Amino acid sequence: MRAQFRFRVRIIFGGVLFVALLLLVRLYGVQVVQGHTYAAAADQQFLSGGNTGLFDRGAIYFTRKDGTQIAAATLATGYLVAINPQTIEDPAAVYAAVSAVASTTLSRSAFLAAAGDRARVYVEVAHHLPDAAGKALAAEDLPGVQVLRERWRYYPGGSLAAHEVGIVSYGSGDTLSGQTGLESVYDSVLERSPDSLYSNFFAQLFSNVGSLLVDAKDAHEGDVVTTIEPSVEARLMHDLAAVNEKYSSRGSGGIIMDPSTGAIIAMASYPTYDENNLATVTPALLGDPLVEHVHEFGSIMKPLTMASALDAGAVTPQTTYDDTGCITVDHARICNWDYKARGVIPMIEIIKQSLNVGASWVATRLGQDKFRAYFTKLFGQKTGVDQPSESGALLGNLDTTQQVNFDNMSFGQGIAVTPVQMIRALGAIANGGVMVTPHLVSAIRLSSGVTRPLDWGAKTRVFSATAARETTSMMDALMDDTLMHGAAKIPTMSVAVKTGTAQLPSPSGGYYTDRFFHSFTGFFPSYNPRFIILLYTDDPQHVEYASETLDSTFLDLVHFLIDYYNVPPDRSATSTAS
Amino acid sequence: MPMRNLSFRPHLSFQALCGWTVGALALAYVALIAVVMSYGAMTVSFSQSVKDDEASVAGLEARYLAAINSIEGTDYRVAGYAKPVAITYVPAQSATALR
Repeated sequence: MRAQFRFRVRIIFGGVLFVALLLLVRLYGVQVVQGHTYAAAADQQFLSGGNTGLFDRGAIYFTRKDGTQIAAATLATGYLVAINPQTIEDPAAVYAAVSAVASTTLSRSAFLAAAGDRARVYVEVAHHLPDAAGKALAAEDLPGVQVLRERWRYYPGGSLAAHEVGIVSYGSGDTLSGQTGLESVYDSVLERSPDSLYSNFFAQLFSNVGSLLVDAKDAHEGDVVTTIEPSVEARLMHDLAAVNEKYSSRGSGGIIMDPSTGAIIAMASYPTYDENNLATVTPALLGDPLVEHVHEFGSIMKPLTMASALDAGAVTPQTTYDDTGCITVDHARICNWDYKARGVIPMIEIIKQSLNVGASWVATRLGQDKFRAYFTKLFGQKTGVDQPSESGALLGNLDTTQQVNFDNMSFGQGIAVTPVQMIRALGAIANGGVMVTPHLVSAIRLSSGVTRPLDWGAKTRVFSATAARETTSMMDALMDDTLMHGAAKIPTMSVAVKTGTAQLPSPSGGYYTDRFFHSFTGFFPSYNPRFIILLYTDDPQHVEYASETLDSTFLDLVHFLIDYYNVPPDRSATSTAS
Repeated sequence: MPMRNLSFRPHLSFQALCGWTVGALALAYVALIAVVMSYGAMTVSFSQSVKDDEASVAGLEARYLAAINSIEGTDYRVAGYAKPVAITYVPAQSATALR
């Protein structure tokens, strides 16, 4: 019995040994004898992308006013065409066939040169072919021509919020990743590993059971949901383009934000670019001027000076001062925009008539220490907006002791901040004295299906609610009584506004006397605002004041938002406006 | 009628049991391979299908956004519309007036 058992064991052992030898021989054949062939085939498969290497990435969504999400960045699917110079038979005929269906391909000379390079086995000659064209070309079955599936980043809005959405490119590495805008900030959420689509269930089962049950990638991979409303964004972009072209400005920009939450509803700058056609875009255009560039904003800083002084108790709305038209501080002359004296007037006139002498008087009354404390709180830190490369403000004059510097800062000269810093600071007046964090993304929709809202809750109280309300009433009066000589007033809606005209700094020192930076801000309804708007246009030609360049743009946006969002009236209209 | 022995006595030897087990495992292995291949093929097919559909939706979204862009960019004065000479606002009514 034992001998019989031993015999059977030997037979089984012999069988196993035989199979092992067979495998070894086969392995030798594959690895050594046919190694080069398989390596070449693998290389070709890798280069062509194949189905396992298709580009994948999460989507970025705009959010309409009714909550519907529209893709701002997604993926497009089509075909690429590659040739094998070693097997191609008639390069001229292939070029004719490819160029007949592809909108982008190599030039004829480059194509023929590539087809003649017999050392290569794979050259991509055309990309982004639509489905029908790709299938039609594949059906021709041309020798030496491969028609392969391809996927690429696609922006349905084209140039809509291009600076904010950002782009995907190779950057310094050999993998596609977000380089600017939200594509960059949320790259870790949007990026996908190439194998995530075609994961092998059983391979995962044997290699990592845990990942099947709780995949760590599901906790951070997803889609990005923005607060940008596409219709409002389109309107803002058109208005900015119109202003910029009308006045031949160097650039223009604007932000529309919910002052109570910091949610940015629209954010745009001009000039812009088409995200689906980056071939002719200069790199300087890719950054977001609204978070990267600092400007001296001029008189829209006055409400912040006034709110600071009201909050500190340095002045009250009833306080008066004697406006002489011009004053001399530290041997420097500061004048009102029209050089005219107003006599003894209350604080509201400083905002309504945009008086530099008055703002300087308020700053002096406030004192350097308190002025420094308020403005450091307003502009001392970056806003934390979810855009890359955010710049900080230039606040060097706050560290000086010369009163003229503080007087200049009180009306927005000698202090340079980014547009997003400016709207955040002005938002504190609109939001009862509390400063919020501006942001573009409201939530991450995870791959697991869970939507994770982002917490932008960091809020900073800068002014008392009373000081904010008193400043608002001054800005409100400017809209009703002064802007366009009262014609801009909306009988059923209170709107708080302020214009700003700053002289542009000269590279040789000092300021130009004939070149300006125009800005305009406003929020409505004044005492429970849903929207705050900041607009600017840089170096407009043949025009001096912001009230000339940006008032109609601002009013167009206000009326558009009232209609689009059905903002209910906040005051009764008893008169007829014309 | 003679009594029958109803008690069950297994006649399966150890070697036979091993043989059946090996056979069952081999069958399961082949089935597993078939399932894995089918699963892989279906995964690829479904993923491709989903991405194709998403790309189609992206095309529709592009048309929608282009329409918005066109509407917001329309200058109605060029289209023949004139700015109203006067605007009359309807006075806001109190809540009680609606009852």
